[in-house]
Amino acid sequence: MNYNPITALAIFFGICLLLYFAFRPKKGIYFLLKSMYKQKDKVIIEDILKFLYHNQLSNNSITTIGLTNSLNFSNSLIIESLKKMMDNELIVLEKDSYKLTPNGNEYAFQIIRAHRLWEKYLSEKTGFHKEEWHERAEDKEHELSESEINKLSDLLGNPRFDPHGDPIPTSKGKMKSKRGVSLSSLKENDIGQIIHIEDEPDIIYKQILAENIHLYSTIRVIENNHTRVVFHSEGEQFVLAPIVAGNITISVSEKNETLEENIARLSSLKIDEQAKIVGLSKECRGESRRRLLDLGFVKGATVAIDLLNPLGDPKAYYIKGTAIALRKDQASKILINRIE
Amino acid sequence: MSTKNIDDIIALSEELRWEIGDDFHDNLAESIYSDASKIVEDAVTKDNNKSKFRLDAKIDKIVTSRIWGFPIMLFILGAVLWLTIIGANYPSSMLAILLLDTIQPMLKSFGANIGFPWWLSGFLFDGVYLAVAWVIAVMLPPMAIFFPLFTLLEDFGYLPRVAFNMDNLFKKSGAHGKQALTMSMGFGCNAAGVVATRIIDSPRERLIAIITNNFSLCNGRWPTQILLATIFIGAVVPASYSSLASLTAVISIAVLGIAFMFFFSWALSKTVLKGEVSTFNLELPPYRPPVFWKTIYTSLIDRTLIVLWRAIVFAAPAGAVIWLISNIYLGDESIASWLIGSFDGFGFLIGLNGVILLAYIVAIPANEIVIPTILMLTVMVTGVAGGVGDGVMFELDSVSATADILRSGGWTLLTAVNVMLFSLLHNPCSTTIYTIYKETNSVKWTVVASILPVIAGFIVTFLVAQIWRIFV
Repeated sequence: MNYNPITALAIFFGICLLLYFAFRPKKGIYFLLKSMYKQKDKVIIEDILKFLYHNQLSNNSITTIGLTNSLNFSNSLIIESLKKMMDNELIVLEKDSYKLTPNGNEYAFQIIRAHRLWEKYLSEKTGFHKEEWHERAEDKEHELSESEINKLSDLLGNPRFDPHGDPIPTSKGKMKSKRGVSLSSLKENDIGQIIHIEDEPDIIYKQILAENIHLYSTIRVIENNHTRVVFHSEGEQFVLAPIVAGNITISVSEKNETLEENIARLSSLKIDEQAKIVGLSKECRGESRRRLLDLGFVKGATVAIDLLNPLGDPKAYYIKGTAIALRKDQASKILINRIE
Repeated sequence: MSTKNIDDIIALSEELRWEIGDDFHDNLAESIYSDASKIVEDAVTKDNNKSKFRLDAKIDKIVTSRIWGFPIMLFILGAVLWLTIIGANYPSSMLAILLLDTIQPMLKSFGANIGFPWWLSGFLFDGVYLAVAWVIAVMLPPMAIFFPLFTLLEDFGYLPRVAFNMDNLFKKSGAHGKQALTMSMGFGCNAAGVVATRIIDSPRERLIAIITNNFSLCNGRWPTQILLATIFIGAVVPASYSSLASLTAVISIAVLGIAFMFFFSWALSKTVLKGEVSTFNLELPPYRPPVFWKTIYTSLIDRTLIVLWRAIVFAAPAGAVIWLISNIYLGDESIASWLIGSFDGFGFLIGLNGVILLAYIVAIPANEIVIPTILMLTVMVTGVAGGVGDGVMFELDSVSATADILRSGGWTLLTAVNVMLFSLLHNPCSTTIYTIYKETNSVKWTVVASILPVIAGFIVTFLVAQIWRIFV
C-alpha cells in the first residue's frame, strides 16, 4: 500500500483544525449558528424589559439611544422590538424615555424570577462553578415557561434569595427591596454583614471570587480611603480596590458585635491547636453542606488537626473520634472559634 | 375553616418568610444536627483514653510522611503487581494444561464417538468451550491473587492513606484521591476497578473514575504487552539488554496509561462533567488487623467469582462468533478473511492490519483471547504452518515460534509498538462495559466510556505510524 504519510498527516491536522473552529468554546461556528437560531424576538424583548426594570430601580431614564448602546443586538432589531412592545402595552414612551407599564413590570419580574431561581438551582443542585452561574442563567431565563419556573421554585423549597443575596420575586410578583449599603461607603470600624455580591460586570466579579470572600460573613472595616478598602472577616484580612468594594453590599449592624471577631476559618487552624466549630459558611452549599453536617462538622463540635499531607493538601481533621480529610477550599468554609 | 382564612394564613406566611430570611432551613437543619450530637454526648459513655491508639498515630506519621509516604506506596503497589504476574504463571499454565490440552481433546473425541457432525463439535468445542476455557485459565489465577491482596490492604486501613497522600495530584485533574485506588484496582481488572469506584461518593469524581478506569492496563493485557515487548522490542537491542528493554517498554506503556488517565480526567472535569455535583471527603479509619480468612473468602466470592462469571458469560458467544466467521463461507471466502480484507486499508494507515482489527472486534468480550485470535487468523489468512484449524484459537509455548507466525503475517517493529499502544488504548472489554452500565445506569456515560479510549487509540497509533514512516 503506497501513500504519502505527510499527506495523511496534513489531512488529519486539517480535520482537527476544522473541528476546532466548529466547536471551540463560545466562538465555534456550531455555537454561533445555535445562538443565531435562538436569537429571536422573545430574547430581545425580555432583555429590554430587564434592562428597563433595573434602570427604573436606580431612577435612570432610558432613551432609544441608551438602549441601542447598551444591548448587544442590531439596532434595527431593537427598534422593531420596541414597536412590538408598545403595541402590546408592555412599555410606554414618556418624553423620549421608555417606561414599563404594569404589564411590563410583571413580565420583567417573571424573567428576574427565572434568572435568580436558575442561579439558585445551579448553586444547590449542580457542580457548575460560581463563575458560570450568571451566564447560564442569562440563557436559561428565556427558555423556562411559567409552570416550569413554579416547579423549579417548589423543588428548591421556594427560596427567597439567590446565591448572590438578591431577592427572588414570588410567583405573585412580590419582592423585598434591597437594603444595605455599599462596602465602599463604610467608615473605619463599622461592622456589618455581607448581604449581596454583585455578579456583573464579569471582571469585577472574578476579582471578588479570587479573594475568597464569603456571602453572609460578618466584616469589620479597618481602612477605607480612595486607594483601598481593607476589612477583616472570618479571621482573614481582605484588601480591595474601592471600585471592587462598591459591588459588595453590607447590612450595617448597630450593636457592637465583638464576639464575631474571634471567628476564624478552619483552614487557618495550626497543628496542636484546638477549636470549636461555630457553623458552616453560607458559601458551603447543597450536597457538600449536607455531607459536612453528616460527618459531624456541626456547631459546638471540637476539632483539631490530625495529619498533615506530604503534598500540603488535604489535611486530616480529628472530629468526633474519627479522622476526616478535607481540602483547603472546604475547610475555609467551616467557621471555628479557637480554644486557648 | 373557610377558604378565606386559609388564604389569609398563606398570605401571612408568605410575608413572614421574607422576615425569617434565607438561612431559616439551614439553621433548622444545623440545630437538629447539633441537638443530636448533644444527645449522643449525654447518653453514650466513651472511653476517652482509648480514642486514638498511639500506634495508629505512629503508623500514620510514617505512611503519610514527606520522605516515606511515596516510596512505601510505590513499593507496595509494585510488590502486589509482581506477586500477581509472577505468581499467576504457575496456576495459569496448570489450568491451561488441564482445560486446553486435556479436556478439550477429550471433548472432541467424545463428540466424534457419539457421532456429532463436524460443525457441531467445531462450534461447541472449538468455539464456545475454547473461549470460555481460555478466559478461565488466563483470568482466574491473577484475579485470585490480586483481589485478596488488595482487599487485605483495604481492610488493614492502608488504602485510605494512599488516597490521602495522592489527593493533591488527582485534584489538579479534577478527580478524587480515591481514584488512585480504583486505578490500581484497574491494574487487576477494569470491571472490578469500576465496581470499586463506589467508594467515591462524589458524583462527578465517581464518573471520572469510571470513564478513565480503562486506561489502567488490566491483567488481560499485561501478557500481551510482555509477549510483544519480548519478541519485538527485546530484539532491537543487544541480547544482554533485551529483557531490560522489554521490561522498560511494558512499564512505559503502563505509565503512559496513567498519563492518559490524568489527561482525560482533567478534560472530562472541564467539559462534559463540569455540571455534575462535586463533594469531597475522605475518612481515615483506624488501622485494624485484617481478618485473614474471611477477607480471602469474601474477596474471592465478591470480586473474583462475580467478575469471572461475567467474563464467561461474554466469552462463550465470542468463541462461537470466532469459530463461525472463520468457517462460514460467502462464495469462496470465509467471513473472517473477507472482513480482514476490508479492514486492511484502514489497519495499514494506523500501523496495524486487518487481522489485528478483526481480532480486537471479536475479542471485545475478553482481552485475554486477543493474541490467540490474532495467531489463528494470521495462520488462516497467510496459510503458514501452525495452528489447529480455522476458527480454533491457539497459543504457542515457544516465543520464537509465535514470533515467526507474526512476522509471516507482515508484522514489523511498528506493528508491535502500535499493537502495544492499541492494547492500552481501545474500548473496554464487554464485561467492563456491562459493569459501567450497571454502575452508572446511563447509556450516555457507557457510550462515552467505551468510545473515548478507541478514538484516543486510533489517533495515537495513526500519529505514531505516520511519524514512523516519515523518519524510518
